[in-house]
Amino acid sequence: MTRRTLNRRTVLKGIGSVTIGLPLLEEMFVRSAKAADQPSVPTRAFNVFFGLGIPSPLQTEGFNGVLEPLKPLSDKLLIMQNVDQVRCDEKGINAHFDGASGAFTAEPPDGEARSGGPSIDQVIRRAHYPEGLPVGMVPTLIGGTFFRRSRISRYVHSYNKDGTVAATMQESPRQVFDRVFGSFDLPKTAEDVKQQRLRRSVLDSVVDQYKFYTGQNSPLGAVSKARVIEHLERVREYEQRAFLLATSEKAPKHPPKSALLHGGEADPGGEGIDITLEELRTEWRLMADLYALAIQLDRVRFGSLTFLAAGERIRLTGEYKYDGRKVFDFNDSKQHNKSGSGGCSHEWWHKFNESKKNEELRAHAHMKMQEIAYFLKRLDEKDAMDLNGKSILENSLITISTESGDGRHSNVKRELSGIFHAISGANGRFKTGQIMDVGAEGVDVYNTMLTAMDASERLGPTNRDSRSIDKIRV
Amino acid sequence: MTSKRFSVTLFFLALLPVSSAATSFAQQPQRTGKGLIALYEFLEPNGNTIVDTSGLGSALNLQIENVGNTARQNGSLKIHKATTIKTNGPATKIVEALRHSGEITVEAWVQSAKIDQDGPARMVTISSNTSNRNFTLGQDVDKIDARLRSSQTSNNGIPSTASKSKTFDTKLHHLLYTRSSDGKTRLYIDGKVSSEGKAGGHFQKWDAAYRLAFANELSNDRPWLGTLHLVAFFNRDLTASEVERHFKAGPNAPSPPAELIEGRVPPSLLTADMKATSGQLFDRHIANILAKNCLECHNSKTKKGRLDLSRKVSAFAGSSGQVIFPGDPDSSLLWESVDSDDMPQKRPPLSPSEKRFLRQWIRTGAVYTQDSIARLAVDQSQINSTWVQRLTVTEYIATVHSAVDVDISLEARRDLPRDLRADGFSNTAYNLSVDLGHIEAYAKLARTIVAKMDVPKFVARYSKSKSIADEHLREVVASMGKRIFRGPLEKREIEPFLKVAHAVAKEGGDYHDTVSFIIEGMLQSPRFIYRIENQQANGQLNNYELANRMSYILWGAPPDTELTRAADNNELSDPKNVVVQIDRMLNDPRAIDRSTQFISEWLDLDRLQYLRPNKKQFPDWNFTLASDMRDETVLFFQDVVWKQRRPLSELLNSQFTYVTPELAKHYKLNASLPDQGLQRCDTSNIPGRGGLLTHGSLLTVGGDEASMVTRGLFVLHDLLRGKVSDPPPCVDTTPVPTKPGLTQRGIALERIANNSCGGCHSRFEPLAFGLEKFDGLGTYYDKDHHGNELRDDGNVVIPGRAEPIPYKNSAELMNILAGSDRVRECMTWKVIQFALGRPLTKTDEPELAKIHQTAMKNGGTYQILITTIVLSDLVQKSRSDEALPK
Repeated sequence: MTRRTLNRRTVLKGIGSVTIGLPLLEEMFVRSAKAADQPSVPTRAFNVFFGLGIPSPLQTEGFNGVLEPLKPLSDKLLIMQNVDQVRCDEKGINAHFDGASGAFTAEPPDGEARSGGPSIDQVIRRAHYPEGLPVGMVPTLIGGTFFRRSRISRYVHSYNKDGTVAATMQESPRQVFDRVFGSFDLPKTAEDVKQQRLRRSVLDSVVDQYKFYTGQNSPLGAVSKARVIEHLERVREYEQRAFLLATSEKAPKHPPKSALLHGGEADPGGEGIDITLEELRTEWRLMADLYALAIQLDRVRFGSLTFLAAGERIRLTGEYKYDGRKVFDFNDSKQHNKSGSGGCSHEWWHKFNESKKNEELRAHAHMKMQEIAYFLKRLDEKDAMDLNGKSILENSLITISTESGDGRHSNVKRELSGIFHAISGANGRFKTGQIMDVGAEGVDVYNTMLTAMDASERLGPTNRDSRSIDKIRV
Repeated sequence: MTSKRFSVTLFFLALLPVSSAATSFAQQPQRTGKGLIALYEFLEPNGNTIVDTSGLGSALNLQIENVGNTARQNGSLKIHKATTIKTNGPATKIVEALRHSGEITVEAWVQSAKIDQDGPARMVTISSNTSNRNFTLGQDVDKIDARLRSSQTSNNGIPSTASKSKTFDTKLHHLLYTRSSDGKTRLYIDGKVSSEGKAGGHFQKWDAAYRLAFANELSNDRPWLGTLHLVAFFNRDLTASEVERHFKAGPNAPSPPAELIEGRVPPSLLTADMKATSGQLFDRHIANILAKNCLECHNSKTKKGRLDLSRKVSAFAGSSGQVIFPGDPDSSLLWESVDSDDMPQKRPPLSPSEKRFLRQWIRTGAVYTQDSIARLAVDQSQINSTWVQRLTVTEYIATVHSAVDVDISLEARRDLPRDLRADGFSNTAYNLSVDLGHIEAYAKLARTIVAKMDVPKFVARYSKSKSIADEHLREVVASMGKRIFRGPLEKREIEPFLKVAHAVAKEGGDYHDTVSFIIEGMLQSPRFIYRIENQQANGQLNNYELANRMSYILWGAPPDTELTRAADNNELSDPKNVVVQIDRMLNDPRAIDRSTQFISEWLDLDRLQYLRPNKKQFPDWNFTLASDMRDETVLFFQDVVWKQRRPLSELLNSQFTYVTPELAKHYKLNASLPDQGLQRCDTSNIPGRGGLLTHGSLLTVGGDEASMVTRGLFVLHDLLRGKVSDPPPCVDTTPVPTKPGLTQRGIALERIANNSCGGCHSRFEPLAFGLEKFDGLGTYYDKDHHGNELRDDGNVVIPGRAEPIPYKNSAELMNILAGSDRVRECMTWKVIQFALGRPLTKTDEPELAKIHQTAMKNGGTYQILITTIVLSDLVQKSRSDEALPK
C-alpha cells in the first residue's frame, strides 16, 4: 500500500500521489465559511454494511477476536450483541437476501429490488430535512465495493419510505467522485456563455413541466408523484451543478479508472471471482476516502456504504497483516481445494463450526473489520472535526451492520439472530465505549435509535408491541 | 367434539394442547362488527394510504396528500402539519348503506394536538367544502361538534349536535355519534352520553359525490392536528351498552364483525350474502394466508398429517376427520390450531388481522372459490402501488428514433445508467428510478440528438412558415409535440416552450435556433421520459394512452403514424379495431425484437457473456461459445414463435436447434453442418437434445458442477411457478462433491431420502434428473469424469398435482413439461409481467386466469397471447393505488 490517504487537507493542498481535487474549490471555501456561522453540527446518518457477517459466537470474544481492528475506535462505538433480525426472514428466499434487506430496515424484502420499508438513514433525513437538503448537497450517497449482484438488495442499503432504492449505487471511486464533486464543462467563449444561458432556459421549461406533475392537479397517483418529485429534485441538483455553482479552473483529474471488475462481469454466473487482497483493498480504500471526503466537505449527510455484498463470492489471495503481524495467507480456492463458487470465501461461512478454529473465516472477518475501521478513522481524523470540537464519527449516527449471525443457512432463527451491530455516539445520544448484550429485536433497536435522533417515524409493523431499548441511550 | 378433535389431530403433526377457540375474543370487552361499513385502524406501517380494514364491500381507502406532515406509530396516525387525507372517489359505500338504513354511528378514537382548533376543525368528514356536507365530526376548541345532513337539517348539517364547553381536551378520547331512525342524535364522549339532539327526516338528500376525509375539510381550509387511532362507520345506531363496550375495549381492540364472534351458524342458516362475503374473503385474503403459512407442509405432495389445503376437494378433511366446519370456527381444528399459535409450526404465528380473516371466513361459510391454490405458493408480490413507467434505455432509443429519426443507441447506451433487473425484468417500473446521472445524460443526449437532426427538414413537416411569433410557435409546438410526446398537448403544456422561444429571441437566435432549443426541452420533458397516464381517471384510458400501452407492449417503441391516426379517430375504443392494429403491429419487425428482449430477460441470457468457468475443468471454453449459446436460444425462439408460430409451450420440446460447428463440437452433437455460422439442426435423432432446457444457455445455470439443486430450482421457479422454503434446522448445506460410485443424482437421492430435506428436495431435484447427462457447460456425456454411468430418467412433480409423473429420458421430461398447463400458465404469467412492467399480484389473478384460458383456447401462440393481454382489463383499464387492496 503506497497510496497516500485522501483527506480534506491533502485535497485542498492539491497534493497526493493519486491526484484528486475538486472542481468546486471556491464553493467549498464558501461553504466552510457558512458552516462556521452555524451554531450546531449537522445531523448525519450513514449505514455501513459488510457482507457475510460475523457468527454470533465470535462476537462474544470482543476485541480479542475478529473485532480487534475496531479496538482503536472502541471509545467511539457501541458494539451491540444479540440483535435479532428473525422477523426479516422471508420464506423461500435466499437467506443472504433476507438478512441484507433487514439490515438498517428491520423488514424482509418486498421484491428483488425493494425492501419492506425505509432504512434508518432515510427516516432521519426526512425528519430533519423534510423540505430537502441544503442546495448543492447530494441528498443520499450510496457507494460500495462489491461484486455479487444477483439482487439489488445484496448491496444497496438506503431505502425510501416506499421501499425503493434511495439513490443509484456508485460502485467505483470514479462514480462516487462524479456524483459528489462532478461539474460540467466550463464555458470558455462568449458563445459558450450564451449557449449556457439558453440551456438554462430550456431547463427552466423542463422544471415547470415536472412541477405540474408533482402538484395538486397532477394526474398521477401517490407513488408516481413521489417518483416525479425525485426526478424534479435531481433536475434541480443538476441545475445547481451546471449553472449556479462556482467552479475552478484548477479542476483536477478524475480518480484513476477502477482496475476491478464491475457490472455483470463482476458476478460471472454467481461463480465468484479471483481477486488479491491488494486489489480489493486499493479500490475500497479509495472509495472510503472519497466517501469520507464527501462527508468532511459537507456534501453528503446521509447514505450507505457497502464493503462486499451479502453472500459475496470472491476467491481471495494474498498475505494479510495487521498491526505489523501476519494474520493469515488468504488463498481460498487452494484452501478449499475447489474452483468456482465452491472455492470462494463464502464457503467458510457455510462451514462455520463453533467447536472448531474457523481460522479462515476469522481471518476474513478480521480483515473486513480492518477495512470498516479504515473508513471510520477517516471520519475521526484532524480533518474531520466539527465546530463543537468533536469528530464527525462522534457527531454522526454511523450504523454498522451485516446480514447474518451465522452462515450455515441451516437455521433461520440462528442465522438471523445475533447480527453484528455497532453504532457511533451521534453527538452524545448513545452510549459508547462498550460492548453491550442488548438482547433485542433489530426493529426495537432501530426505533430506539430513531427516537434518540428525534425522528417520529417508526420502522416495522405498527401492530406489534414495541420495546424501547433505553440502555443504549445516554 | 372431543373424538373429532382427537382424530383430526393426526393431520397436524405435533399438535400441542389446544386452547379454547374463543379465547382470543373472550378475554376483554369486544367491539361489535354488526352493521359495520368502514373501519380505519391505521395499521399500515407506512405509505400514504389509509386502508379500510373492514373487509366489507369495496375497500374505501384514503390517500394522504403530504405524507411528510404525518407520522405513523403503533396503529395511529399523527397529523402534525395540515394536510389532506381523502378518498380518491366518492364515499359511495357509506352513503348507500346509510341512505338505506336511515341510521348511523360514527366512532373515532382521537387525541387533539392543541385545544385552540375550531371551525370546527374537521376530524372526520364526508363533505365537499365548508358549507356542504353529509356528515362532519369536528373539534370546536374544547367542544365536539357533529353535523349531519338530513331532510330536516341544512346542507351544512345545521342544527348540529355539540357537546358542552370543557368536555374535550388534548387527552385521548373516545367519540361516538349516533342517529337513530327516529332522528334522535346522541354524542358520546368516553362511553357516556355528552349531549343529545335531533336530525329528523331521512338521508335521501345525502350527496353521493362527496368524499370521505380525515383531519381537514375537502376544500383544505379546516385542518385539524392531532392523532387518529380509530375511525369506524356503522349503518345503525349502536346501543348505549355497545358504546360503553367499545370505550372499554380501547383504541387498539380488534374489531370483528359481530356475526363472527357470536356462536356458530348452522349450515342451513348460512345466507347467500354470508357466503358471498366468505368467497370474497377467500379471494382477497384466505388463499394467500393458506399459501403463505400452510402449503409448505400441507400441499398435494407433502400432505403432512394427510392434509392437503391446496385443493378444494381435500382442504376440508382428511381420511380421519374434518378440519374446517363451515359456519363453525370453534369446532374447526384449522382455526383452533392457528388461534392457539400451534400452527404454523416453527414459523411466526399468523397476525391478528390474518386470524380475524380466517375466523371470519369459516364463520361465513368457508367458501373455497378455486379448485386449487397451489399456484399461489410462489412469491406473491406485495407491490400494489402503481409507479409511473420511465422509458428503459432500450425504449428511450426506440422512442428517439421514432420521434425524430435519430439513432442515438451508441450514445444512450454509453451515457445512461443501466436499468437493473428487478423481479426478473429490467422494465420493472418500481425500480426505474432516476439519479443525477440520468438527468445529466438526458440533457447531454438531447443536445446530441438535436445536433444530429436536420432540424429545418424536421420542422417543415409541421409548418412551412418560419415565424417566431407566439401564435405560430404555439401551433408548431402543438403539432411537433404531439409526435414527440406520443399524444396531443394540453394548452398549459405549450406555454413553457414559448418561454424558451423568448429566451432564444432575446439572445438573437433565429427560427432554427428556437425550434432546436424547444426540441431539446421536449426531449427532457416528463411527457417524453415517462409514459404518463391519467391515474385518477377511475380506470378509464383515453385512446392515446391505450395506443401507447399497445405500442410499448408490442414493440417497446412509441405508436407509429397509423396507430396515432387510429387514436385520433377514437377507433381504439372498439376492440375490433384494436385487434386489427395488433395484427398489423405483429407483422412489424419491432414485434420480433420486443419478444426477443422478453426471452433474453426471462432467461437472463446476458449472464452468458460473463461466464468464466474453471479453466482446468473446461480448457476449451471461449467467449465465442457463450455468444453462440445465446444466439442459439434467440434463433430457436424466433423460429418457434415467429417462423412456425407454434404454441409457446413447444419451446420446451421442439426437435431442432441452431448451432455453429464450434458449438456442435462443444455439445458433442453428431450432426452434419455444411456451413459456418449458426445453422438449423434437426435434433430428432440426437439423444437428450431438444427444447430450451437442453440449450447451453440454460444448462449453465447449474454452474461448473452442474448443480441439480440450481437446475431443479430454475425449472421449479421459472417454469412451474413453484416455491420451496428455506432448509430446515440442523442441515449442513455445503455442496457434496461427486466421486467414484457417487453421481450428482446419487447425492440428490441421498438428500431426497433424508427426512429433513426430502420434503422440499423431492419437489425440485427430480426436475433436473433428466438433465444429468449434461455437464456444467451443456456438453453431453454418458459417464461423468469419475467414470460413473449417468442417467436421464426420473419423476416430475407438477405443483398442484398429487402424483409424480415418471419419465424414461429427457425427451419424455420435455414432453411432460410442454404438455403441462402449469408450465403454460407460467409462461403466460411471464409474458404478462413483461408486458405490464410490474410484478403480478394477487389482485391480478382473476384476469390472469381469464387471459390464460382464452389464449390457450385460441392456440397458445405468442401472438394470440399478446393479443389477449392487450384486450384484457389489465391493459384496457388503468390501475390506481386506491383500487388496490394492501
